[in-house]
Amino acid sequence: MSTDAHGNSKFLQHHYDTPAQQFGAAKLGMWLFLAQELLFFSGLFVAYGVYRSWYPDAWVVGSHLLDYRMGTANTCVLLLSSFTAVMAVRSAQTGNQKATGNFLLATIFLAGCFMVVKYFEYHHKFEVGYLPGQHFAPHGEGLVEIVAAARETGVNGVPFHLRTFFGLYFVMTGIHGLHVLVGMFVMGWMWNRNRKGEFSKRYSTPVEMTALYWHLVDIIWIFLFPLLYLID
Amino acid sequence: MTTESTASHSHSSPDDGEVVSHIASTRRHVIVLLGLLMFTALTVGAYNINLGDWNLAAAVIISTCKSALVVWFFMELKDDVAFNRVIFLGAVIFMGLFMAYTMNDTRYRNIVDAYNGGRIDPRTGELANGTAAGIVAQGGELGPLPTLPAGEADGEPAQE
Repeated sequence: MSTDAHGNSKFLQHHYDTPAQQFGAAKLGMWLFLAQELLFFSGLFVAYGVYRSWYPDAWVVGSHLLDYRMGTANTCVLLLSSFTAVMAVRSAQTGNQKATGNFLLATIFLAGCFMVVKYFEYHHKFEVGYLPGQHFAPHGEGLVEIVAAARETGVNGVPFHLRTFFGLYFVMTGIHGLHVLVGMFVMGWMWNRNRKGEFSKRYSTPVEMTALYWHLVDIIWIFLFPLLYLID
Repeated sequence: MTTESTASHSHSSPDDGEVVSHIASTRRHVIVLLGLLMFTALTVGAYNINLGDWNLAAAVIISTCKSALVVWFFMELKDDVAFNRVIFLGAVIFMGLFMAYTMNDTRYRNIVDAYNGGRIDPRTGELANGTAAGIVAQGGELGPLPTLPAGEADGEPAQE
Protein backbone atom coordinates (compact mmCIF):
# COMPACT_ATOMS: atom_id res chain seq x y z
CA MET A 1 0.00 0.00 0.00
CA SER A 2 2.84 2.40 0.81
CA THR A 3 4.49 1.97 -2.57
CA ASP A 4 1.15 2.71 -4.11
CA ALA A 5 0.92 5.97 -2.23
CA HIS A 6 4.51 6.82 -3.19
CA GLY A 7 3.89 6.19 -6.81
CA ASN A 8 0.77 8.27 -7.09
CA SER A 9 1.38 11.13 -4.74
CA LYS A 10 2.57 14.64 -5.48
CA PHE A 11 2.44 15.68 -1.85
CA LEU A 12 3.83 12.65 0.02
CA GLN A 13 7.44 13.22 0.96
CA HIS A 14 9.76 10.27 0.45
CA HIS A 15 10.56 9.76 4.12
CA TYR A 16 6.95 8.98 4.97
CA ASP A 17 5.27 5.65 4.29
CA THR A 18 1.71 6.92 3.96
CA PRO A 19 -0.22 10.20 3.77
CA ALA A 20 -1.73 9.39 7.17
CA GLN A 21 1.72 9.07 8.71
CA GLN A 22 2.81 12.35 7.17
CA PHE A 23 -0.33 14.07 8.40
CA GLY A 24 0.14 12.67 11.92
CA ALA A 25 3.71 13.92 12.03
CA ALA A 26 2.70 17.38 10.81
CA LYS A 27 -0.04 17.62 13.40
CA LEU A 28 2.21 16.40 16.22
CA GLY A 29 4.78 19.01 15.26
CA MET A 30 2.14 21.71 15.12
CA TRP A 31 0.77 20.86 18.57
CA LEU A 32 4.30 20.88 19.98
CA PHE A 33 4.80 24.33 18.46
CA LEU A 34 1.49 25.54 19.89
CA ALA A 35 2.40 24.16 23.34
CA GLN A 36 5.63 26.12 23.10
CA GLU A 37 3.65 29.23 22.13
CA LEU A 38 1.41 28.81 25.18
CA LEU A 39 4.42 28.48 27.46
CA PHE A 40 6.00 31.51 25.80
CA PHE A 41 2.91 33.63 26.43
CA SER A 42 2.55 32.20 29.95
CA GLY A 43 5.63 34.20 30.99
CA LEU A 44 3.75 37.38 30.09
CA PHE A 45 0.58 36.23 31.84
CA VAL A 46 2.57 35.43 34.98
CA ALA A 47 4.19 38.88 34.88
CA TYR A 48 0.69 40.29 34.48
CA GLY A 49 -0.55 38.34 37.53
CA VAL A 50 2.38 39.34 39.70
CA TYR A 51 2.15 43.05 38.91
CA ARG A 52 -1.62 43.08 39.13
CA SER A 53 -1.44 41.60 42.63
CA TRP A 54 1.21 44.15 43.60
CA TYR A 55 -0.34 47.23 42.01
CA PRO A 56 -4.10 46.72 41.91
CA ASP A 57 -4.80 50.47 41.70
CA ALA A 58 -2.61 50.89 38.63
CA TRP A 59 -4.39 47.97 36.99
CA VAL A 60 -7.89 49.29 37.65
CA VAL A 61 -7.08 52.82 36.47
CA GLY A 62 -5.00 51.55 33.52
CA SER A 63 -7.80 49.28 32.38
CA HIS A 64 -10.24 52.20 32.44
CA LEU A 65 -7.89 54.11 30.13
CA LEU A 66 -8.42 51.45 27.46
CA ASP A 67 -11.51 51.59 25.29
CA TYR A 68 -13.40 48.39 26.07
CA ARG A 69 -15.74 48.94 23.13
CA MET A 70 -12.81 48.70 20.74
CA GLY A 71 -11.63 45.60 22.63
CA THR A 72 -15.08 44.03 22.32
CA ALA A 73 -15.24 44.81 18.61
CA ASN A 74 -11.84 43.23 18.10
CA THR A 75 -12.85 40.16 20.09
CA CYS A 76 -15.88 39.64 17.85
CA VAL A 77 -13.75 40.18 14.74
CA LEU A 78 -11.20 37.56 15.84
CA LEU A 79 -13.89 35.03 16.82
CA LEU A 80 -15.47 35.50 13.40
CA SER A 81 -12.06 35.01 11.77
CA SER A 82 -11.63 31.73 13.65
CA PHE A 83 -14.94 30.67 12.16
CA THR A 84 -13.86 31.59 8.63
CA ALA A 85 -10.56 29.76 9.23
CA VAL A 86 -12.35 26.60 10.27
CA MET A 87 -14.61 26.95 7.23
CA ALA A 88 -11.53 27.27 5.00
CA VAL A 89 -10.29 23.96 6.43
CA ARG A 90 -13.67 22.37 5.88
CA SER A 91 -13.79 23.60 2.30
CA ALA A 92 -10.30 22.26 1.67
CA GLN A 93 -11.21 18.89 3.18
CA THR A 94 -14.28 18.62 0.98
CA GLY A 95 -12.28 19.64 -2.07
CA ASN A 96 -14.01 22.97 -2.66
CA GLN A 97 -11.10 25.01 -3.97
CA LYS A 98 -13.04 28.23 -4.59
CA ALA A 99 -14.61 28.30 -1.13
CA THR A 100 -11.24 27.55 0.47
CA GLY A 101 -9.73 30.59 -1.23
CA ASN A 102 -12.65 32.81 -0.30
CA PHE A 103 -12.67 31.76 3.34
CA LEU A 104 -8.92 32.33 3.53
CA LEU A 105 -9.41 35.81 2.06
CA ALA A 106 -12.21 36.50 4.56
CA THR A 107 -9.91 35.46 7.39
CA ILE A 108 -7.14 37.73 6.14
CA PHE A 109 -9.62 40.59 5.82
CA LEU A 110 -10.88 40.13 9.39
CA ALA A 111 -7.31 39.94 10.67
CA GLY A 112 -6.69 43.22 8.84
CA CYS A 113 -9.72 44.77 10.54
CA PHE A 114 -8.28 43.69 13.89
CA MET A 115 -4.98 45.39 13.10
CA VAL A 116 -6.70 48.60 11.95
CA VAL A 117 -8.60 48.86 15.25
CA LYS A 118 -5.35 48.11 17.08
CA TYR A 119 -3.67 50.88 15.12
CA PHE A 120 -6.24 53.44 16.25
CA GLU A 121 -5.90 52.30 19.85
CA TYR A 122 -2.10 52.52 19.79
CA HIS A 123 -2.20 55.85 17.97
CA HIS A 124 -4.37 57.41 20.68
CA LYS A 125 -2.09 56.10 23.44
CA PHE A 126 1.03 57.43 21.74
CA GLU A 127 -0.64 60.83 21.31
CA VAL A 128 -1.61 61.27 24.96
CA GLY A 129 1.64 59.82 26.30
CA TYR A 130 0.51 56.44 27.65
CA LEU A 131 3.86 54.92 26.80
CA PRO A 132 5.48 51.92 28.45
CA GLY A 133 7.83 52.10 31.44
CA GLN A 134 10.10 55.11 31.72
CA HIS A 135 8.56 56.73 28.65
CA PHE A 136 5.18 57.07 30.38
CA ALA A 137 4.40 60.79 30.18
CA PRO A 138 0.70 61.54 29.94
CA HIS A 139 -0.19 65.08 28.94
CA GLY A 140 -3.19 67.08 27.87
CA GLU A 141 -6.14 64.82 27.21
CA GLY A 142 -4.17 61.95 28.71
CA LEU A 143 -4.11 63.64 32.11
CA VAL A 144 -7.80 64.48 31.92
CA GLU A 145 -8.57 60.83 31.22
CA ILE A 146 -6.44 59.65 34.13
CA VAL A 147 -8.19 61.99 36.55
CA ALA A 148 -11.57 60.86 35.23
CA ALA A 149 -10.59 57.17 35.48
CA ALA A 150 -9.26 57.64 39.02
CA ARG A 151 -12.47 59.33 40.12
CA GLU A 152 -14.61 56.69 38.43
CA THR A 153 -12.78 53.81 40.10
CA GLY A 154 -12.45 55.51 43.47
CA VAL A 155 -8.64 55.52 43.35
CA ASN A 156 -7.37 58.55 45.23
CA GLY A 157 -4.39 59.58 43.12
CA VAL A 158 -2.31 58.64 40.07
CA PRO A 159 -0.84 55.14 40.47
CA PHE A 160 2.88 55.31 39.78
CA HIS A 161 2.77 51.88 38.18
CA LEU A 162 0.41 52.91 35.39
CA ARG A 163 3.69 52.82 33.44
CA THR A 164 4.06 49.13 34.32
CA PHE A 165 0.50 48.45 33.24
CA PHE A 166 1.11 50.11 29.88
CA GLY A 167 4.45 48.32 29.58
CA LEU A 168 2.66 44.99 29.82
CA TYR A 169 -0.23 46.23 27.68
CA PHE A 170 2.08 47.10 24.81
CA VAL A 171 4.23 43.98 25.12
CA MET A 172 1.29 41.59 25.37
CA THR A 173 -0.90 43.15 22.67
CA GLY A 174 2.20 43.92 20.57
CA ILE A 175 3.44 40.34 20.51
CA HIS A 176 -0.11 39.17 19.91
CA GLY A 177 -0.42 41.66 17.06
CA LEU A 178 2.82 40.35 15.61
CA HIS A 179 1.27 36.87 15.65
CA VAL A 180 -1.75 38.28 13.80
CA LEU A 181 0.52 39.76 11.13
CA VAL A 182 2.39 36.46 10.75
CA GLY A 183 -0.97 34.70 10.48
CA MET A 184 -2.08 37.08 7.72
CA PHE A 185 1.13 36.42 5.83
CA VAL A 186 0.85 32.63 6.16
CA MET A 187 -2.81 32.69 5.11
CA GLY A 188 -1.87 34.72 2.07
CA TRP A 189 0.68 32.06 1.23
CA MET A 190 -1.97 29.35 1.70
CA TRP A 191 -4.37 31.31 -0.51
CA ASN A 192 -1.76 31.31 -3.26
CA ARG A 193 -1.05 27.59 -2.90
CA ASN A 194 -4.77 26.92 -2.98
CA ARG A 195 -5.10 29.05 -6.11
CA LYS A 196 -2.45 26.87 -7.76
CA GLY A 197 -4.54 23.83 -6.88
CA GLU A 198 -2.13 22.21 -4.44
CA PHE A 199 -4.86 21.12 -2.04
CA SER A 200 -7.45 18.41 -2.46
CA LYS A 201 -9.66 16.07 -0.48
CA ARG A 202 -6.59 13.88 0.00
CA TYR A 203 -4.24 16.65 1.02
CA SER A 204 -5.17 19.79 2.96
CA THR A 205 -2.60 19.57 5.76
CA PRO A 206 -1.03 23.05 5.31
CA VAL A 207 -4.44 24.76 5.49
CA GLU A 208 -5.27 22.76 8.63
CA MET A 209 -1.98 23.63 10.32
CA THR A 210 -2.41 27.32 9.47
CA ALA A 211 -5.89 27.26 10.98
CA LEU A 212 -4.57 25.61 14.16
CA TYR A 213 -2.10 28.46 14.55
CA TRP A 214 -4.81 31.01 13.88
CA HIS A 215 -7.08 29.51 16.55
CA LEU A 216 -4.26 29.74 19.08
CA VAL A 217 -3.82 33.44 18.27
CA ASP A 218 -7.56 33.77 18.88
CA ILE A 219 -7.29 31.97 22.24
CA ILE A 220 -4.51 34.30 23.42
CA TRP A 221 -6.75 37.26 22.64
CA ILE A 222 -9.71 35.60 24.40
CA PHE A 223 -7.65 35.88 27.60
CA LEU A 224 -6.01 39.24 26.86
CA PHE A 225 -9.31 40.99 26.27
CA PRO A 226 -10.95 40.69 29.73
CA LEU A 227 -7.63 40.78 31.57
CA LEU A 228 -6.62 44.11 30.03
CA TYR A 229 -9.85 45.86 29.10
CA LEU A 230 -12.35 44.67 31.66
CA ILE A 231 -10.92 45.27 35.13
CA ASP A 232 -13.50 46.69 37.48
CA MET B 1 -22.45 25.91 2.37
CA THR B 2 -23.70 22.39 2.86
CA THR B 3 -24.66 20.79 6.12
CA GLU B 4 -23.27 17.29 6.18
CA SER B 5 -23.18 15.23 9.33
CA THR B 6 -20.07 14.98 11.45
CA ALA B 7 -17.07 12.67 11.26
CA SER B 8 -17.39 10.85 7.98
CA HIS B 9 -15.07 7.89 8.27
CA SER B 10 -16.75 6.12 5.46
CA HIS B 11 -14.89 7.64 2.50
CA SER B 12 -11.77 5.62 3.20
CA SER B 13 -11.08 2.44 5.11
CA PRO B 14 -9.02 2.90 8.30
CA ASP B 15 -5.76 1.34 7.13
CA ASP B 16 -5.24 2.29 3.50
CA GLY B 17 -2.73 4.91 4.63
CA GLU B 18 -4.93 7.82 3.61
CA VAL B 19 -5.62 10.73 5.95
CA VAL B 20 -8.93 10.23 7.71
CA SER B 21 -10.56 13.65 7.98
CA HIS B 22 -13.25 14.33 10.52
CA ILE B 23 -15.28 16.82 8.54
CA ALA B 24 -17.62 18.63 10.89
CA SER B 25 -20.86 20.17 9.68
CA THR B 26 -21.12 23.87 8.93
CA ARG B 27 -24.02 23.93 11.36
CA ARG B 28 -21.80 22.84 14.23
CA HIS B 29 -19.23 25.52 13.39
CA VAL B 30 -21.96 28.17 13.35
CA ILE B 31 -23.28 26.97 16.72
CA VAL B 32 -19.77 27.13 18.23
CA LEU B 33 -19.32 30.66 16.83
CA LEU B 34 -22.64 31.76 18.34
CA GLY B 35 -21.59 30.22 21.66
CA LEU B 36 -18.33 32.16 21.55
CA LEU B 37 -20.12 35.43 20.79
CA MET B 38 -22.59 34.72 23.60
CA PHE B 39 -19.74 34.21 26.06
CA THR B 40 -18.21 37.50 24.87
CA ALA B 41 -21.48 39.29 25.60
CA LEU B 42 -21.47 37.61 29.02
CA THR B 43 -17.93 38.86 29.79
CA VAL B 44 -18.80 42.41 28.81
CA GLY B 45 -22.04 42.12 30.78
CA ALA B 46 -20.16 40.91 33.86
CA TYR B 47 -17.84 43.90 33.49
CA ASN B 48 -20.73 46.32 33.67
CA ILE B 49 -22.08 44.63 36.80
CA ASN B 50 -19.73 45.07 39.72
CA LEU B 51 -18.90 41.61 41.04
CA GLY B 52 -16.14 42.79 43.37
CA ASP B 53 -13.55 40.10 43.98
CA TRP B 54 -15.39 37.76 41.62
CA ASN B 55 -14.63 39.96 38.63
CA LEU B 56 -11.28 38.37 37.88
CA ALA B 57 -12.64 34.88 38.52
CA ALA B 58 -15.60 35.51 36.20
CA ALA B 59 -13.32 36.83 33.44
CA VAL B 60 -10.94 33.87 33.68
CA ILE B 61 -13.72 31.26 33.90
CA ILE B 62 -15.55 32.67 30.87
CA SER B 63 -12.28 32.90 28.90
CA THR B 64 -11.50 29.30 29.78
CA CYS B 65 -14.91 28.19 28.52
CA LYS B 66 -14.39 30.10 25.27
CA SER B 67 -10.93 28.61 24.81
CA ALA B 68 -12.28 25.14 25.51
CA LEU B 69 -14.85 25.63 22.72
CA VAL B 70 -12.15 26.77 20.30
CA VAL B 71 -9.72 23.97 21.20
CA TRP B 72 -12.30 21.19 21.30
CA PHE B 73 -14.34 22.04 18.21
CA PHE B 74 -12.44 24.49 15.97
CA MET B 75 -9.03 22.93 16.59
CA GLU B 76 -10.74 19.52 16.63
CA LEU B 77 -8.87 18.14 19.61
CA LYS B 78 -12.16 16.28 20.00
CA ASP B 79 -11.24 13.97 17.12
CA ASP B 80 -7.47 14.17 17.52
CA VAL B 81 -5.15 11.44 18.72
CA ALA B 82 -4.63 11.14 22.48
CA PHE B 83 -0.96 12.12 22.22
CA ASN B 84 -1.81 15.59 20.87
CA ARG B 85 -4.32 16.07 23.67
CA VAL B 86 -1.62 15.16 26.18
CA ILE B 87 0.72 17.76 24.66
CA PHE B 88 -1.90 20.48 24.91
CA LEU B 89 -3.01 19.53 28.42
CA GLY B 90 0.63 19.30 29.47
CA ALA B 91 1.25 22.87 28.31
CA VAL B 92 -1.83 24.07 30.22
CA ILE B 93 -0.80 22.23 33.38
CA PHE B 94 2.72 23.62 33.26
CA MET B 95 1.33 27.13 32.72
CA GLY B 96 -0.75 26.62 35.85
CA LEU B 97 2.25 25.37 37.84
CA PHE B 98 4.36 28.29 36.66
CA MET B 99 1.71 30.81 37.63
CA ALA B 100 0.80 29.17 40.95
CA TYR B 101 4.35 28.86 42.23
CA THR B 102 5.41 32.33 41.10
CA MET B 103 2.34 34.05 42.52
CA ASN B 104 2.67 32.08 45.73
CA ASP B 105 6.08 33.64 46.12
CA THR B 106 5.43 37.20 44.98
CA ARG B 107 2.00 37.64 46.53
CA TYR B 108 2.88 36.34 49.98
CA ARG B 109 6.53 37.30 50.08
CA ASN B 110 7.58 37.78 53.71
CA ILE B 111 4.05 37.28 54.92
CA VAL B 112 4.00 33.56 55.62
CA ASP B 113 6.81 34.00 58.12
CA ALA B 114 4.88 36.46 60.25
CA TYR B 115 5.81 34.59 63.43
CA ASN B 116 9.42 35.69 62.92
CA GLY B 117 8.45 39.15 61.82
CA GLY B 118 9.52 38.46 58.23
CA ARG B 119 7.14 41.02 56.83
CA ILE B 120 8.61 43.82 58.92
CA ASP B 121 11.86 45.44 57.87
CA PRO B 122 13.90 45.31 61.13
CA ARG B 123 15.81 48.49 60.23
CA THR B 124 12.75 50.68 59.92
CA GLY B 125 10.06 48.79 61.79
CA GLU B 126 7.87 49.34 58.72
CA LEU B 127 6.37 46.76 56.38
CA ALA B 128 9.20 45.39 54.26
CA ASN B 129 9.77 46.52 50.67
CA GLY B 130 8.38 44.25 48.01
CA THR B 131 5.64 42.75 50.14
CA ALA B 132 2.16 43.12 48.75
CA ALA B 133 0.99 44.32 52.15
CA GLY B 134 3.84 46.84 52.22
CA ILE B 135 2.84 48.26 48.87
CA VAL B 136 -0.77 48.61 49.98
CA ALA B 137 0.43 50.24 53.23
CA GLN B 138 2.29 52.80 51.12
CA GLY B 139 -0.99 53.70 49.52
CA GLY B 140 -0.39 51.56 46.46
CA GLU B 141 2.29 53.99 45.33
CA LEU B 142 -0.21 56.65 44.48
CA GLY B 143 0.89 60.10 43.45
CA PRO B 144 -1.38 63.09 43.83
CA LEU B 145 -3.96 63.66 41.12
CA PRO B 146 -2.69 66.25 38.68
CA THR B 147 -4.31 69.64 38.96
CA LEU B 148 -5.91 70.52 35.69
CA PRO B 149 -6.31 74.17 34.73
CA ALA B 150 -9.94 75.19 34.75
CA GLY B 151 -11.61 74.75 31.39
CA GLU B 152 -8.90 73.03 29.41
CA ALA B 153 -5.85 70.88 29.99
CA ASP B 154 -2.45 72.05 28.79
CA GLY B 155 0.61 69.90 28.09
CA GLU B 156 1.84 69.59 31.67
CA PRO B 157 3.69 66.29 32.27
CA ALA B 158 2.42 63.87 34.92
CA GLN B 159 3.47 64.16 38.53
CA GLU B 160 5.58 61.23 39.66
